[in-house]
Amino acid sequence: MKKLLIIPFLFFITIIFSQSQPQDSTKAYKKRVLEKTEIDFLSSYYSQDGDNAAVTGGIGTEKLTDLASNIVISIPLNDDDVLSISAEISAYTSASSSNLDPFDSGASGDDDDDDDDRNSSSKAINTTTGSPWVESSGDSKKDTWFNGNVSYSHSSDDRNRIWSANLNFANEYDYTSIGFGGSHTWLFNEKNTEFGISGNVYLDTWSPRYPTEIDSYFEADQNLYRGFFIGIDILDQNGNVADKDDPTIWRPLNTTLIDNKSRNTFSVSLNFSQILNKNTQVSFFLDLIQQDGWLASPLQRVYFSDRDNFYIGNAASIPNYTLPSNRDVFQLADDIERLPDSRFKIPIGMRFNYYINEIFVARTYYRFYTDDWGISSHTAEIEFPIKISDKFTLYPSYRYYTQTAADYFAPYEENLSTQEFYTSDFDLSDFNANQYGFGIKYTDIFTKLHIWKFNLKSAELKYSHYDRSTGLASDIISLGFNYIFE
Amino acid sequence: MKQLIYILLTVSFLTSCVAVKEYEKVNINDPDMVLSSRKSNKFETSFQVYRESASGANGGKSGGGCGCN
Repeated sequence: MKKLLIIPFLFFITIIFSQSQPQDSTKAYKKRVLEKTEIDFLSSYYSQDGDNAAVTGGIGTEKLTDLASNIVISIPLNDDDVLSISAEISAYTSASSSNLDPFDSGASGDDDDDDDDRNSSSKAINTTTGSPWVESSGDSKKDTWFNGNVSYSHSSDDRNRIWSANLNFANEYDYTSIGFGGSHTWLFNEKNTEFGISGNVYLDTWSPRYPTEIDSYFEADQNLYRGFFIGIDILDQNGNVADKDDPTIWRPLNTTLIDNKSRNTFSVSLNFSQILNKNTQVSFFLDLIQQDGWLASPLQRVYFSDRDNFYIGNAASIPNYTLPSNRDVFQLADDIERLPDSRFKIPIGMRFNYYINEIFVARTYYRFYTDDWGISSHTAEIEFPIKISDKFTLYPSYRYYTQTAADYFAPYEENLSTQEFYTSDFDLSDFNANQYGFGIKYTDIFTKLHIWKFNLKSAELKYSHYDRSTGLASDIISLGFNYIFE
Repeated sequence: MKQLIYILLTVSFLTSCVAVKEYEKVNINDPDMVLSSRKSNKFETSFQVYRESASGANGGKSGGGCGCN
C-alpha cells in the first residue's frame, strides 16, 4: 500500500518541479469565468431487483424504485466569481426497507392457496404474518431524500488559481447531514498542468429506526406478553408454538441498540491533471477518507447460525422460508448488523482521455480502492463518444467493477453470535458487476431553441443496465437539460 | 526493483510532456475531453455508491450525506 502512495506523491512532486513556468499569455486579457447564468436540470428513474435484501438478513426481495431530480444554477457574480446553488430531491419506494416492519403486509396470505395451506396444517396459525419476499405497506416503504448545496468559487486574475468553498445539507427520514468543504487549484505550465487539493467534512446524524420486532421488544420492556407481542404466537423451527416463558425462546442478542447516533466523514482529496499532447490528457485522483461513528445500518437484520430460529406467521411456510414462494412467515431477527465505529478508505483513480479524431473520443477511467474493513476493489470504465453530426453525439459505455468481501460479511444464517462484528449486507460481499450504457446528446452552441429566457444549450438522454454477480440487476434512465439564462 | 521501474517510467512519462499552447488546445477543450465524470452520470454514480463498497477518487463526493457507505 505504501508503494501505491509513494508513486502518486512522486508524480505530483516531479511534475511540479520538472516543468518550467513561463509567463502566462492570458494575463493581459481577462475572460469571464462564466459568461452567463447557466441552469442544469437532471432527472432520473432507477429500478432494481434482487434476492439478498439486507433489511431481511441477506435474503428477500431487493425491489426498489427511485425518482430523482436535480437543479443546479450557476451564477457569475463578476468576472472572477461564480455562485452555484444545487437542490436535489429523490423519492423512492423500496420493498426491502418496507420490511423493516413486515407484519402489516397486505399480501399475507389472503389468496385461496394460502388458505388451503393453513387449513391443511395442524400447526399454529397467526393472523399477523409477513415475508422477506413480500413488500410490506408500512411507512418505511417510501421516503424522500433532499439535498441542498451552495458553492462559491473565485479565480485569480491570471486564472491560474481557483479557490472554492461549499456548504451542504441533506435530510431523509432517518438521516440528517451537514457538510462543508473547500478546495484550492493551481494551474501552471501554460495551463497544461493542474494540481488541486480539497477537504470535506460531513457531520451526519442517525434518527435510527430498527426492525419492528426488536424495536417492539424493547418498547414492551422485553416482555413477550406486552405491546406488539400481545396475541401473537412465536413459532419454533418446527412450526410449533413456543412457550413465551421458556428462557430459550427468541430474544435479541444485544440489549443495546445505537449508542452513538453520529456518523462523521473527513476527506482530503488530491488531484493532478496533465495535458500530454494536443490530443491527450490524463488525471490522477487520491482520496484519504476517515469515517467514524455508527457506520452500520440500524435497519439491517442479522440471523446467526448458532442460535435457534423463531418465526411469526404461517407455520407451513417455514420449510420454504428462503424461497420466493414463502408469502406469509417471517423470521425474528437475532440482531441488527454491527460494524466497527471507524473506517479508513483509500481510493486512487485515473482518467485518460484521447481525442482520436473529429468523430471519436475515448474516455477511460480506472480506480483502485482499499479500506481497513478488508475490502479492495477495482473499477474500470470506458466511454466512447461518437459525434454523428454537428449537433448529435452518441455515448456508448461499459463499466466493470469487482470487490472483495468485508471481513465481517457472511450470508443469511452464516454469521456467529460470538463475533464482535457481523453483517449480511450483500453490498459488502464479494462480487463483480457489469454496466452497459448508451446515451445521446443534442448540443446547440448557438442556443436557438428557447423557452422564455431559457436558451437550450444541450439535452441528453442516457440509459444504463447494471448486473451484479449476486443476482441484483438494475436499470437507470437519465434525462438532462442545460440552459443559458439571458 | 519493481518500484524503481514504476518511478522511472513515471518520471520519463512526465518529462516527455511538451507544453501545448492555448491556440493548440482545440481538441483538448472539446467538451467530451473533460477530465471528470459527465453531468448526466450524477445519478448513476449515486446508485453505485449505494450498491458498491468503493467510492471516491473520481473528483466527486467520497461519502457522507446519506445512509450509504
